[in-house]
Amino acid sequence: MGLITPVSRGVPETKASIMNGVRGIGPVTLFPVPRGRSLPVGEIHGSFEMDGLPRTHQFALIAAEEAMADSSDAPDAIVIGGTTGGMALTEEHLKRGDTSRELFKYHATGSVAEYLAARLKCRGPVITVSTACSSGTAALKVALEMLREGRARNILVGGADSLCRLTYYGFNALQLIDPAGARPLDVDRRGMTVSEGAGMLLLEGKDKVPDNAIAEILGAGLSCDAYHPSSPDPEGTGALAAMRAAIKDGCISASEIDYVNLHGTGTIDNDLSEARALDRLFVEDKPLLSSIKGAFGHSLAAAGAIEAVISAMSISDNFVPGNTGCKTPDPELRLNPVIEPMESDIQTVLSSSFGFGGNNASVVIGKPKKEGAAISSQGPSHLTIVGCACITGAGKTRMTEKAFSEGRSCKGILPDREVSKDLSPKTVRRIKRLSRLALSLAIAAHKDSGESDDPNSLFFGTGWGPLSNTYDFLTKLYESGEHFTSPTDFIGSVHNAPAGLLAIRFRARGPNITTTGGDYSFEQSLMTASLLTKERDDLILVVGADESHEILSGLFDDSVSGDQTPSDGGGAICLRRADTPSGLRLLPTFFEYSKGNPSIILSLIDSLGGPAKIKSKYGALLAGIPGSLRERGRDQLSQFLEGSGFGGPVIDYRRLTGEFASASAVAAVLAVCFAREGKIPEGLCGKKSSSLNGKGILIIGLGKFVTAVEVIT
Amino acid sequence: MEETVKILIDELRVKIIDTLNLEDIMPDDIGENDQLIGGELGLDSIDVLELVMMIEKDYSVRIDNKELGAKVFANLRALAGYIQEKSPGLSH
Repeated sequence: MGLITPVSRGVPETKASIMNGVRGIGPVTLFPVPRGRSLPVGEIHGSFEMDGLPRTHQFALIAAEEAMADSSDAPDAIVIGGTTGGMALTEEHLKRGDTSRELFKYHATGSVAEYLAARLKCRGPVITVSTACSSGTAALKVALEMLREGRARNILVGGADSLCRLTYYGFNALQLIDPAGARPLDVDRRGMTVSEGAGMLLLEGKDKVPDNAIAEILGAGLSCDAYHPSSPDPEGTGALAAMRAAIKDGCISASEIDYVNLHGTGTIDNDLSEARALDRLFVEDKPLLSSIKGAFGHSLAAAGAIEAVISAMSISDNFVPGNTGCKTPDPELRLNPVIEPMESDIQTVLSSSFGFGGNNASVVIGKPKKEGAAISSQGPSHLTIVGCACITGAGKTRMTEKAFSEGRSCKGILPDREVSKDLSPKTVRRIKRLSRLALSLAIAAHKDSGESDDPNSLFFGTGWGPLSNTYDFLTKLYESGEHFTSPTDFIGSVHNAPAGLLAIRFRARGPNITTTGGDYSFEQSLMTASLLTKERDDLILVVGADESHEILSGLFDDSVSGDQTPSDGGGAICLRRADTPSGLRLLPTFFEYSKGNPSIILSLIDSLGGPAKIKSKYGALLAGIPGSLRERGRDQLSQFLEGSGFGGPVIDYRRLTGEFASASAVAAVLAVCFAREGKIPEGLCGKKSSSLNGKGILIIGLGKFVTAVEVIT
Repeated sequence: MEETVKILIDELRVKIIDTLNLEDIMPDDIGENDQLIGGELGLDSIDVLELVMMIEKDYSVRIDNKELGAKVFANLRALAGYIQEKSPGLSH
C-alpha cells in the first residue's frame, strides 16, 4: 500500500499521525486568493514542481512506488480513480493565456493512470474511473472484478487528486465549505474541506493467501441515487444500497462489521443521509465508526483509496482512527463516533464513498482468510446487443450510417438544435453540450432497443469530459478576479455529470461508472460494463461521447489540432446480460498498453485465437487510428494484417468519423448496423458490397493502446 | 409599493430568466408573489445557488445560509425587499 496526504507521507507515518490526532488542514498557499476569501484546505506542502508534471501525477507516483516497493513484477493492470488530473497546471496556463499544446500534455484525467503505466512498465489494461468523490472506492470494485474474472493476477488500484482552483472555488460556490475546517458529524458542522493526495493498493488474486498479505478485499458494491445532480438522496437509500451490495458481495452479514470508515465529509446533507443509511443497515447496535476527513480533508477521488488503505491498516494493526473535528456529535444523526484514536481488535471494515451524480461505492475489507477467493476459470461472456444510436457531424444514426456507408465524410459538429431536438427545454436549460449528446444518444439507443424496461446500469466513456462547463467556469472565475463563478458549471464539469443525468432520466439505480482514457475511453467503458453487470437480465446502456470545444479541444487533443475539421459526437449501445447470449452480441476482448510492449500485436492475434480463427470469425475490420499517431497506428495495423492474414475489408474509420476521442463509439454502432444487415456497404469496400456471410466484425483501436471489441452474430 | 422595489422586481425578472437560461419564460410570467423554488418555474437548489452568486455579484448582497435563503427566495417581493434593504448601492 502507499499513501501521501496532507497529514503524512507513507503508511507508517500515517499510522503515527492518526494515533497522535494530527490535523492536516490549514490556509491555502498553493495559489493566491482574493483578500477575505481564504478557506481552509488540506494541502500537501513541499516542492512538487517536476518537469511540467502536475501535482496529481506526482502524488500518484509517490504512493504507487511505496505500494510497489516489495514487488519485482510490473502490475498486470492499473485502475485509478481521478477527477482533477492535470487541472492544477492547466488552470494556471489558461489563466495566463498560454497556447502551447505541450503545456497541456498531462491535462487529461486519464493521463495519471497512463503515466503510472509507463513508469511501472505495466502492459495491460489501464482504466481511469471518474465518478467524482466515489472514484477511489469505485476503482476498487472494478479491480476486484478483474481479479475475480481472471483478467489479471495483480493490479495496482487507487486514487489521486490535487488541489486546484476549480474544486476550491467550485465547492465554495455550492456553499459546501466549512470556514472552520470540516467537522464531520458535529452538531455545528457546516461543510467539507477540499484536500489532495493519493492512496494506492497492490491487489493480488490467488488461490492461496500470500504470506505478505495485509488484508483482503472481501467485497464491494455500487449504486446510484438517481435523485439529483449534486445533492444526496436525503433518506440515504442509494448509500444503503451500495453498503448492502458490498456486504452481500463479501458474503458476510452487517453484524460482522467491526468498524465503519465513514464518507463523513462534514456537510450537513452528506452526514445526515449517511447516518440514515447506517440506521437502516445496522438494526441493532452500530459498530465503531469514524470519519477521517476532519483530519485529512476530502481529497475527492483519492479519498476512497486513502480510506481503503487506512481501513486495511486498522485491520492489520488493530486500531480505529478518531473522528477529528467532532466536539459534539449531532444528536439527529444517532451516531456515536470514536472521537480519540483507539486500539481495538478489528477483523472487518466497511468503507464508503459518495459522489456527485448520486454515485455510491462501498467496500468491505477483512483479515486475510486461510483460503483464497474463487477465481473464475470461465472468462467473460458476451452481452446481447438490443439497441444502438450514434451522432456525428453528418447527423444522427440513419444519417451517419448513410454517409459512412457511401464513404462520405461524417466530420463536423452537429448543431445543438439538432442534438437537442428530442430533449425538452426544461431538461436542457442548464445542461451543456456533452450532457446533451449523452442524453440524446442514450434515449435513442434505448428507443431503438424497443425494450419496455429501463436500463439499470449505466456506463459512460469520455476522453475529455464536459469541456464547455470547465471552460465557462474558469472564464467566469478569472473575469471576476476570482470572486465569482457558476455553481451550475461546476456541477456540470465533473466527467460523470452526464451519467448522473442519465441515471435520473432512466431511474437507473445500479452501477454507474464513467471512465476516461483518451481515444480508448469507450473501450474502457465496455470493459467496465462487462465486469460489473453480473445480474442476469440486466438492461445496460454504454455510451461514449466527446464534445468539440473551440478553444480547449485543440489545446488538449493532438489528433484534433492536427485535423482541419473540428468534429464531435459519440455512440450508445443498449445491451442485455443473458445466461446464454445469442443473436447479435458484443465483447471487449483485448486491452493492452503499447509502450515497452513490442509484441503487442502478436499478443492481440494470439488473444483472438490465432490467424485461422481470426479469418473464420470476422468478415470485416474497423480500425481506429488516432490522427496524432498515424505512423505508429498504420505500422501496428500492417503488423496485424500480415500476422493474421486477414483479407476482408479494412476500414480506417477515423478518416470518415472525424477526430474525437469517442470516435470508437461511433465505429461500434456502425459495426452493429452492418452486422444487422449482414454486409459491408460498397462505398467502403471499393467494389460491390461485401457479405459478411454470418461472420462478425472486429473493432480494433491502435496507437498508444491496442484494443479489440468483437461484434458477432 | 415603493418605486425602487418595483424597478428592482422588474430587473430581477430579467436577470433570473437570463441567469437560469429560462428560454421559454417571459418576464411577465413571473408574478411578484409566485413561489420561486419548487413552484411552476421548476427551480431547485442548484438554481438558488446560481441566483445567490448573481445577487452577490450584481448587488453585493450575500445570502450564505439555507434558512435565510428559504426566506429570501420565497417570492420576487421578498427577494427584492431583502436586496433593497441590504445592498450598499440601493439602500438609503
